[in-house]
Amino acid sequence: MNDSKTDQQKLSDEEIRSLVVARLSVLSPDTYVSIGSDGSFSRDELIARVQAGDEIGKEIEDIQLEWLRSWKARAAAV
Amino acid sequence: MEGARGCRMMLVTRPDYDPGTKYLSSWSQILIEEARAKGIEVLDLPGTKATKSEFEGRLKKKQPSLVVLNGHGNEDCVTGQEGKPLVESKVNAEILSSSVTYAVSCQSAARLGREVGGYLNTAYIGYEKKFSILHSHGYFKRPSEDPLAKPFMDFSNHIVRSLLKGHTVEESVRRAKEVGETHLRSLETSLSDPDIQMAAAFLSRDISCLVAHGDTVKCIIY
Repeated sequence: MNDSKTDQQKLSDEEIRSLVVARLSVLSPDTYVSIGSDGSFSRDELIARVQAGDEIGKEIEDIQLEWLRSWKARAAAV
Repeated sequence: MEGARGCRMMLVTRPDYDPGTKYLSSWSQILIEEARAKGIEVLDLPGTKATKSEFEGRLKKKQPSLVVLNGHGNEDCVTGQEGKPLVESKVNAEILSSSVTYAVSCQSAARLGREVGGYLNTAYIGYEKKFSILHSHGYFKRPSEDPLAKPFMDFSNHIVRSLLKGHTVEESVRRAKEVGETHLRSLETSLSDPDIQMAAAFLSRDISCLVAHGDTVKCIIY
C-alpha cells in the first residue's frame, strides 16, 4: 500500500479541507495564486473555493497534499 | 552580429490580457532580449498580435526553430490574446512540425504535445497539469520584479535559456527541473513564512508535470 492511500485512509475529506484552509488562512492578503485560465485568486477567494469543494478547491487540496507528502519524504531521506 | 549556428529564429507569443498572461509575457520579454543579444532573430507576437492568423502566417513564412507559446490552454490547445486558440490538436498541430516548442500553458502536453511530438524531427515541451504561479499584489506593472514569482520565472525561463545554449530538449528539461529544485530547497528553509511555503507547494507541482515529447535529443543550436 502506498503513502497516498494510507494518508487518504487516515484523513477524512473534511479533515483535509480544514488542514488546507488552515494553511491558506495564514497567507498574506497581498498574495495571489494564478491557476491557469481559471484566474488569479486571493487568500480569501482560495479559502472560499476549498470550503465550497469546487474544482479549483479540489485542485488546491491536491497540490497541498502532494506537497506535504513530498516534504515528508524529503525530510525522511535526510 | 552573426546568428547562433542552427538557430535561425525564435517565435514567441505573448498575450497579456489578465494577470497570468501579463506575468508570462514579462518573463518572455527577458528571454527575447537574451536571444537577440545572441544574434538570434525573434518573431515577437505581443498582446493583440498573438492571434491565430499572425501566428500561422509567421510560422509558415519563417519556419522558426524554436517556438515559445505563452498563454492559457488545455489538453487540446494553447491560446493567444483573449483566450482564442492558436494551435489545436487535430486542427493545426502540424504547423509546429520540425520545430522545438515550449508551451508555458496548462495541460497542453497531455494531448496536443503528444500529437506534435509525433511529427518527424519535432519536440514539444509543456505541462501535463495546470501551470500555476504565486504572485504579489502591486507588481502587475513590473511582474519580473515580483520576488514571490521569481522561482517560477527562473524555472520556466531556464528551458529556453538552456535550449539557446545548445542543450538538447531532454537536457534542457532536466536542467530547468534542477533550477526549480534548487529554489525548492531554498524555499524549504523558510518554514516560518507561509507565503513561501505555499509557493514551494505550487512550484513543486509545476516541476513534476513538466514533460517533453517527440525528438528529445533535438537541439536548436548545434
